[in-house]
Amino acid sequence: MKKDLMDILACPMCKGELELTIEEEDEKEVVTGSLSCAKCSEIYQIKDAIPNLLPPDLRNQS
Amino acid sequence: MENLNDDKIRQVVRENYAKVAESGGSSCGCGTPSDLPVIETPCCGGPSPLQKERPIQDSTRMGYSSEDLASVPEGANMGLGCGNPQAIAALKPGETVVDLGSGGGFDSFLAANKVGSEGYVIGIDMTPEMVSKARENALRNRYTNVEFRLGEIEHLPVADNSVSVILSNCVINLSPDKPSVYREAFRILKQGGRLAISDMVAIAELPDELKNDLDNYCGCITGTIPAVEIEQMLTEAGFENIRIKHKDESKEFVTEWVPGKSIEDYVVSATIEAFKP
Repeated sequence: MKKDLMDILACPMCKGELELTIEEEDEKEVVTGSLSCAKCSEIYQIKDAIPNLLPPDLRNQS
Repeated sequence: MENLNDDKIRQVVRENYAKVAESGGSSCGCGTPSDLPVIETPCCGGPSPLQKERPIQDSTRMGYSSEDLASVPEGANMGLGCGNPQAIAALKPGETVVDLGSGGGFDSFLAANKVGSEGYVIGIDMTPEMVSKARENALRNRYTNVEFRLGEIEHLPVADNSVSVILSNCVINLSPDKPSVYREAFRILKQGGRLAISDMVAIAELPDELKNDLDNYCGCITGTIPAVEIEQMLTEAGFENIRIKHKDESKEFVTEWVPGKSIEDYVVSATIEAFKP
């Protein structure tokens, strides 16, 4: 996930702004990390550079 | 679909498309969960296992040009659409595009070619296997203006008023909550933004026998609703200048999805356009 796309991302549940925490990144993108919603406190993981922004009930099934 | 709850529908759709992703598109798009009879002919255009060439043939019939087909990464075209939303989207360089239900990324890559380096395409899909596959396709072909996210089209992970165009190809009919999909689409579009969708719509009510027969494994037929209902949902969401056009030529490929059942009498591919004022 590219950092410069943060501004068009939003929490899928409450549409609040997401804050990025980077655990691992390369020259192009964030590889591992998380996105946390400042409004509803939900946390979404980024794994293999893919942000998992599924609602919590669907995410738990994957 | 009355006898299936929303969660069950989502689960079946995900399982089916996960299998399609893993097989590289060589199975039926509308899927055949393991506990259901295998149907040999595709629906939603997904090719049967013995017909590897099918995505290309079907895509041509759905309205893509051979230039389009040659311009996307190999493996991205899984033959799962039912039309060509690009044709109605008229994408311009620099636009930001969201592809609802991006699958292997076929329409996202075509859009990425059109919007160029100043534009951006975000593909959203709820099936992890599809998103991984689309990302691999993007990496292998060095696309820098397209990204894929795991997300649900009823709960888009996208900020308000942030995109120019929403594309979707044969996906929204699978949603158990279509009004939410259109409300979310409206929310994320910028003022003047547009919706360019290719999808299946109902033209006659399915007989019970056919409906029961198709339940579970062919959402792209049993989940369809008539154009008037789609128009009403779009209007309620706030859209204007709504145009829904049946593509009668789709009968040619729709008839092959479930042979011998005359499904072309009940569903048709359509283009759906709408604008956010």
